[in-house]
Amino acid sequence: MTDLGRTPRTRQRRSRFVIALVVGLLTAAVAAGALAQAGKSGLIGKLEGPEVVTDPAKFPKTLNEAPQLAAQVKAGKLPPVAERVGQDPLVIKPLREIGKYGGTWRAGFTGPADFWNGFRCCSGPDHLMFWDYTGDKVMPNLARGLEMQDGGRAWLLHLRRGMRWSDGKPFTADDFVFWFEDIYRNKDLIPTPSAAMAINGKQGTIEKVDTHTVRFKFPEPYFMLPDVLAGSTDLAGQMFGYRGMGGFAPAHYLKQFHPKYVGAAELDRKVKDAKFDSWVRMFLAKNDWALNPDLPVLSAWKTVTPINTPTWTLERNPYSVFVDTAGNQLPYIDRVVLTLAENLEVLNLRAIAGEYDYASRHVDLGKLPVFIENQQKGGYKVYLDPGDYGGDMIIKFNLNYDADPEIAKWFNTADFRRALALGIDRDQINETFWLGTGTPSSVVPADSNKYNPGPQYRKMWATLDVKKANEMLDKVGLAKKDGEGYRLRSDGKGRLRIEIMTLGGQFVQYTQISEMIREQWKKIGIDLTVQEVERSLALKRTAANEQQLGAWNNDGSEHLFTFPLHVFPFELAAVASSGPLYVKWFHSAGTQGKEPEPRMRELMEKWKKAFGVPEKERIQLGKEIWKIAAEEVYIIGVIGMGPASMGVRVVKNNMGNIPSRQYNSPDGKTPGISRPATFFYKK
Amino acid sequence: MAEPEAILERGRAPLGGPTAVGDTREQRVFVASQWQLMWWRFRKHKMAVASALIVMGFYLIVLAADFLAYADPNASEAQRSLMPPQRVYWFDGGRFSPHVYGLKGARDPQTFKRVYQADPERKIPIRFFAEGFEYRLLGLIPTTRHLIGVEGGSDAAHAVFLLGTDVQGRDLWSRLMYGTRISLTIGLFGVTVSLVLGVVLGGFSGFYGGMADTIIQRTIEIFRSIPTIPLWMGLAAALPRDWSVLQVYFAITIIISLLGWTELARVVRGRFLAMREEDFVVSARLVGCSQMRTIFVHMVPSFMSHIIAATTLALPAMIISETALSFLGLGLRPPAISWGVLLQQAQNVQTVAISPWLMLPAVPVIIAVMAFNFLGDGLRDAADPYGR
Amino acid sequence: MLAYIGRRAILGIFTVWAISVLAFAIIQLPPGDYVTSYIAQMASMGSVVSDEEAQNLRIQYGLGQPIYVQYFKWMGLIVQGNFGMSMEWRRPVTEVIGERLWLTVVVSVAALILTWVLALPIGIYSAVRQYSVGDYVATFIGFIGLAVPNFLLALVLLYLGFVLFNAHIGGLFSPEFQDAPWDGARVWDLVKHLPIPAVILGLAGTAQQIRIMRANLLDELRKPYVVTARSKGLSEARVILRYPVRVALNPFASTIGYTLPYIVSGSIIVSLVLGLPTVGPLLLKALIAQDMFLAGTIVLLLGVMTVIGTLISDIVLVLIDPRIRLEET
Repeated sequence: MTDLGRTPRTRQRRSRFVIALVVGLLTAAVAAGALAQAGKSGLIGKLEGPEVVTDPAKFPKTLNEAPQLAAQVKAGKLPPVAERVGQDPLVIKPLREIGKYGGTWRAGFTGPADFWNGFRCCSGPDHLMFWDYTGDKVMPNLARGLEMQDGGRAWLLHLRRGMRWSDGKPFTADDFVFWFEDIYRNKDLIPTPSAAMAINGKQGTIEKVDTHTVRFKFPEPYFMLPDVLAGSTDLAGQMFGYRGMGGFAPAHYLKQFHPKYVGAAELDRKVKDAKFDSWVRMFLAKNDWALNPDLPVLSAWKTVTPINTPTWTLERNPYSVFVDTAGNQLPYIDRVVLTLAENLEVLNLRAIAGEYDYASRHVDLGKLPVFIENQQKGGYKVYLDPGDYGGDMIIKFNLNYDADPEIAKWFNTADFRRALALGIDRDQINETFWLGTGTPSSVVPADSNKYNPGPQYRKMWATLDVKKANEMLDKVGLAKKDGEGYRLRSDGKGRLRIEIMTLGGQFVQYTQISEMIREQWKKIGIDLTVQEVERSLALKRTAANEQQLGAWNNDGSEHLFTFPLHVFPFELAAVASSGPLYVKWFHSAGTQGKEPEPRMRELMEKWKKAFGVPEKERIQLGKEIWKIAAEEVYIIGVIGMGPASMGVRVVKNNMGNIPSRQYNSPDGKTPGISRPATFFYKK
Repeated sequence: MAEPEAILERGRAPLGGPTAVGDTREQRVFVASQWQLMWWRFRKHKMAVASALIVMGFYLIVLAADFLAYADPNASEAQRSLMPPQRVYWFDGGRFSPHVYGLKGARDPQTFKRVYQADPERKIPIRFFAEGFEYRLLGLIPTTRHLIGVEGGSDAAHAVFLLGTDVQGRDLWSRLMYGTRISLTIGLFGVTVSLVLGVVLGGFSGFYGGMADTIIQRTIEIFRSIPTIPLWMGLAAALPRDWSVLQVYFAITIIISLLGWTELARVVRGRFLAMREEDFVVSARLVGCSQMRTIFVHMVPSFMSHIIAATTLALPAMIISETALSFLGLGLRPPAISWGVLLQQAQNVQTVAISPWLMLPAVPVIIAVMAFNFLGDGLRDAADPYGR
Repeated sequence: MLAYIGRRAILGIFTVWAISVLAFAIIQLPPGDYVTSYIAQMASMGSVVSDEEAQNLRIQYGLGQPIYVQYFKWMGLIVQGNFGMSMEWRRPVTEVIGERLWLTVVVSVAALILTWVLALPIGIYSAVRQYSVGDYVATFIGFIGLAVPNFLLALVLLYLGFVLFNAHIGGLFSPEFQDAPWDGARVWDLVKHLPIPAVILGLAGTAQQIRIMRANLLDELRKPYVVTARSKGLSEARVILRYPVRVALNPFASTIGYTLPYIVSGSIIVSLVLGLPTVGPLLLKALIAQDMFLAGTIVLLLGVMTVIGTLISDIVLVLIDPRIRLEET
């Protein structure tokens, strides 16, 4: 009986070469045209999006509001729109046209853990600063402006005059001070301070200057602060309010749940009435944007029925500070209704059927042909938004793996890693799993990204070169092979076997792709076992240094400094890690863990340094970081710049101001970066 | 004309009643052995007989899976992704010469579907007993012969795809052959475990009665009350990570069978209870047989037929459980190939909408389950030759 | 008689307790706990949870304590009528389950009705015309439900429903009726969504019922009183339907008791595929997330339903069939 998964070398030799030659030519031809075709088919458009207007001359002179709000003003239930928006509205020029009020946006979500869904579509976004539609420049957002002082050691944040929370109370510097003093510094609420508030490990402070000005003060120059405020970090508005983060919080509302302002007995009573275990649990639940309809917010829409019910409904925030260039208070769309779909096939099928007006979050790239087929029937159009990061799929080597010294030795040998990278047939993987829409790539981000070190790094150690891979493996000391063609360990203990850990049920099919890689690595004599595990198990094993190879993606790494998680070992809690011991070393300033090898250390040092230097230097440091990453191949890049991760977008034809291509990034809270507040129904 | 079956059908022939017909056939009934009676009774159930043949056919496939497959089930090739089943042309210009047309495939830039054009000029003849990839027949004899293959042996080995290919370009027919082998053997192991547990525990319960009986009964009830899926999930998640696919496979079968034994135990217990008071058992004890002898030589053979029937009926449950476990991601996982794995890989919208041939593994599942059920029913009917 | 019921009731309580222990143990079997699952979820979305935060969460959820302590805490809560808080949903367990429980019953009952409508006639026909072509055809249809992998069938029907009828995909309500008040239109909407789940779930159970029906009826048909009735001149139909069928239904009727929990747990997979807002998918997600109280309560609930069901079945059987009563005394 043939053993499943073991291929005799004879068969390989005889049949493979001829087939490979013919097919290889065909594949090359097809692959070369793949991206061009994708563009030609009209699915990938031109990057575009609405712009924030900063020139006061272009600000609108009068303001308008939605009819339902106007009716409430007339009935005396709401103050007039000028009063609600304040003197310094956030003016956004819609992408194509001024929109019309009205309509309900139908979408789907998968359960109480899917809160990113609502933040991406409906929060505004409510960052203090935010990216422009290219994802490159930092623009004012909820804050009117950010001013650097004292060589970067202080930053003045200017708020908008007359800006209010969704319940009408003013949004002022007090909300920052409350957050910093009573939430951030409260050890019960936040046991570990955030890296976002620190430079070189030293924490900063927030202080009030006047009602509409706040100062962030740091012991050393913190040039990165604008990016940190713009990105999806701990200072990014109410998204992380459930963990006590955000940078600001509605003081007037949350004080009633805080022991500093409420007597212990009364607080206890409140906790019991609300059926919580402790005041901490209650406080954090009350500060949860997706869970608590009473929480005052600054976002474009606010939660009306919470995320832990079958329908998550959001309605327009009457005090929204967003307006368009004609003075219409945004958002145009009245309500957003997300219905529960606990099974991804059901969710995708509903999107295929046109039951959702705009869907991108859980859409499966593998179903692209079915979506396209039903465009007419469903009344929608399909768009592809490839990400800018180099790895829709990456493979991490755990450099700290120590359960088997032989494997540890090889993982820490650069040529071993490079050879394995050369043994992957990326074109096959791209065609099968990305339907040709991805780009075979090393881990470096897109060419348009400011930290990209140069076009020659795209293919560095990221092509298929079986001959060279075999040569390199022979040279490092793995030349001996067993009867079936697999390389033998140098310590004489038999065949060299390595294992890759994958997660099932993700946007990218890591397990199936790893299976394909397993077949491909047979040609370079490497025996790979694929282990699919549950998420929490993956986490546990990674943190316990039990993982050998891990498959994941590096989305967010296009914003190298806010999302370093998948560039170098940065966090213990990761589903795939390059070295948990290095993480400890990094965060303990060298006192714990294990010291990384020289080039990795160099990379880490450059990263730390970048936070404290001006932009030009930072960009240079970023490029050098990517250079090291590409050369050392701590992480193998497989396919990059693909639309697999929330990049397949389905939008009904009757929606207006929809970009033909948008910047797909977690920092950009895509589609947040396209300002869904400017989407409207054309009917 | 009284056939033995007809006599059996009418129930016990009246003792000492009118024997006007004076039939030797009737007398044959009285002297026939237990197994012969069963066979006659079984023969009446046409469906069961047909099912028996089908089941034998399946197990032939289990033995000859490598021979029947013609492509490496794990060989992926993106340019062959999602090929529909190929049409076989039996005659070429009047001569019997089965062949298929060569296919050229590309991804349509507008629809993003893989589209294949048949080229009538490129005829690829199918050979019987052709050469293909190497394997060991029955685990012993290395050979490269397969039932079918294409001219040119292993060089052009991948040019025929009877049932099409999957997303990774792997031949479905070959994968189905290997899947059949694993799915049907899992069933056997699991059923054996259930059998042993059921007979032993049920026997204890029925034979000794009293406290042992009550405890076992309660345990059975508890097992039956727990929803199976949480139990599976808990046990599957607790399996050590470094077990090979094979070890996981055995563990899974044991997990499934841990719930299957209860039914068998009940049947066995019932039989033991009923038989305890039977004359022949009492006489065996009086004559001086040991307990063991009484049980195994006298009692067990009399309900052997029931056990066979119950066991046969437990198999389809195994098959279905295996597919359910794979769906949940708890059972066999790639690179193992089983019906459950194949179905799990077909369980998505794009398969149903665009590549429905990937759902073909459901057909052998249906046939196998039906066949085992009819077979089991027939056996159970036959197990009681004199009617109930 | 009362003694019998009393004894069974006490044993039933013991069984329920054993189930609760087992349920709790099963949920704790996978390594880690809710917090590890939660951290993993956050990590896969790019949010990082620090060690201290994790510790905090564990303390707040009471996960830091040994298992038996957690178990007794849970038991203590149950005795007070509080089934705990679902960590995933951040709502009381009773609320989360309650919303779905009655919908689960509706779906199960619909499936049950379909099962009986199919199984009874087929079973009767099969017994009466044993070994005929009609028998084979009828049983074939009955067994198809058992043989077809129901998760695949569910997906296919879902897709066909969309392609052919433009039906709303899955679930039990169309979006516009999701939170609407209960009126005729909403009921009709529910009914429109029931056929697919009822068919898939109902077909699965027919095989077993056919078998039971056929076996029982065959038993009855051999009895002398049938011969008597026939010889007295009653028409064939009356002979069969009037007496044997009624008697054959007796043990059949007693199976109602535990059919409900059987369908509920057997429908987990199909409910998941169809996106039904029932207890099944809830249990599955709770198990994956290791949401202790929610998963534990549902498993306990199903277990209790089974025990009560079996108890009722046995009592009904005793009431109907005097022979058993005599056996027990």
